Amino acid sequence: MSSVSVRQLTLRFPVYGLDAKSLKRHLARVAVGGRLSAARRGLQVVTALDNVSFELRGGDRLGLVGHNGSGKTTLLRALSGAYLPDVGEIEIHGRVASLLDLSLGIDPTATGIDNIFLRGRVAGLSTAAIQERLEAISEFSGLGPYLAMPLKTYSAGMQARLAFAVATSVDAEVLLMDEWFAVGDADFQEHAQARLKGLVERANVLVLASHDHDLLRAYCNKVMRLDGGRASPVVDIAQLDELLHAPAP
Amino acid sequence: MSSAYTHLTGHRGHLAEARAALDDVRRALGRSGLAVSLAWHDIVARYRGSILGPLWITLSMAAMVAGIGLLYAQLFRLSLAEYVPFLALGIVIWGMISTTIVESCDTFTHAAGMLRQTSLPLLIFPVRTVLRNLINLAHHVVIVVVVLALFTPWREIDLAAALLGLALVVVNLVWVTTVVGIVAARFRDIPQIVAAVVQFAMFMTPVFWRPEAIPERHLVLTLNPFHYMIAAVRRPLLGEPGEPGAYAILAALALAGWALAFGLYVITRRRIVHYL
Repeated sequence: MSSVSVRQLTLRFPVYGLDAKSLKRHLARVAVGGRLSAARRGLQVVTALDNVSFELRGGDRLGLVGHNGSGKTTLLRALSGAYLPDVGEIEIHGRVASLLDLSLGIDPTATGIDNIFLRGRVAGLSTAAIQERLEAISEFSGLGPYLAMPLKTYSAGMQARLAFAVATSVDAEVLLMDEWFAVGDADFQEHAQARLKGLVERANVLVLASHDHDLLRAYCNKVMRLDGGRASPVVDIAQLDELLHAPAP
Repeated sequence: MSSAYTHLTGHRGHLAEARAALDDVRRALGRSGLAVSLAWHDIVARYRGSILGPLWITLSMAAMVAGIGLLYAQLFRLSLAEYVPFLALGIVIWGMISTTIVESCDTFTHAAGMLRQTSLPLLIFPVRTVLRNLINLAHHVVIVVVVLALFTPWREIDLAAALLGLALVVVNLVWVTTVVGIVAARFRDIPQIVAAVVQFAMFMTPVFWRPEAIPERHLVLTLNPFHYMIAAVRRPLLGEPGEPGAYAILAALALAGWALAFGLYVITRRRIVHYL
């Protein structure tokens, strides 16, 4: 049974390579983002997540809501293992797949097929295992002959189809998604929803960050609100409206 | 259900960090197949859409060897048979070393897309940079074979010693790439400094000129790690006696360098992704 357990997670990151002095002048009027504070040696530090705790079990589909810069993506990156906690801990049972950045840093001249292989390799599949799934992935992506074309010729929706097709084919048990996959068209949305339902039925965990409340209602059964890095308790999706109108956590 | 399990915690003291870093090294070794895939993809991507493809690597190097060989043999008043094999090996080995070091600056910055959304062990990326350059080097084997066959009909080539030398060079390059990659990700002036240092080192190292041309035990030779790296591979292939102490020095350098790289990694492992 896959599960995700986050306890007292605090994540701060130093912001390098900017003129800390000029930024300080604007500190007083920060409307978005985590709380900024000056650390030693004038390095700017953002507290992106502040004492966040929650538990998810197999079958949970958690939606994350919150303003731009409230910590949604940072939380997803922390769950993916890219950002290590400063305080607290994250415990995950199950294989994690994340769909956060579309490009994954793969060069734009690589073809769709190359992308399937590289993404599959990065996700931990062997070349033989990818070969086995190649047909299924190609079919689900719906890209047909475009798979032989370089990625730079793809629209955002086509890239999303490809990334989604691979990420949901690697036997992920914990799937992390930022809302970009909403760029797909209606046909793709329908397929994607069916596939996500299937994943969750097999007792997996989905964490999805989005500003689109209808999307959250369609995909999630639980929701958590982030505000300036602080998290609300996890509540049922039916209470989404109350959660949004409640005072900041 | 698979047994995949992830446990990430906050900083719990230097000992725990060192242990976690060691675990990262182990995970990186477990994913070395990915480093090979990425390195291979880098080469394929670089020459996609070009007609001659990776043959360009070989051709451009061959042109350089021919041009510099003919000119410098006259400048140095050496016979072609004496100078061209020496030069070809020098350029090929130095090319691998210098390109690896220059490219090491991008080791982590180029992988930002992957590092920001996966828990891939960071250390596979230095291995990728070095492997990419080894694949490049493999394209030059043709030149080396042709030159050796053309100019030296019979020589006692000690292939085993040359391969040992190459292995030591590679082990050293991986730690250099790790250190330079981390530092260059943090400080964006480093790539320019590295490029300048590597260019300077090219002229200070016996790549084009024979080490016998300057007094024995000159500091430019004895204190120059690149001199030992090139000699460890080149001399056995030219059928010359091995450079005294070169292997021991390279092994010691590898140990010291790995200690440095590991220490740096222990300190920065939580921060590297934020540098990007």
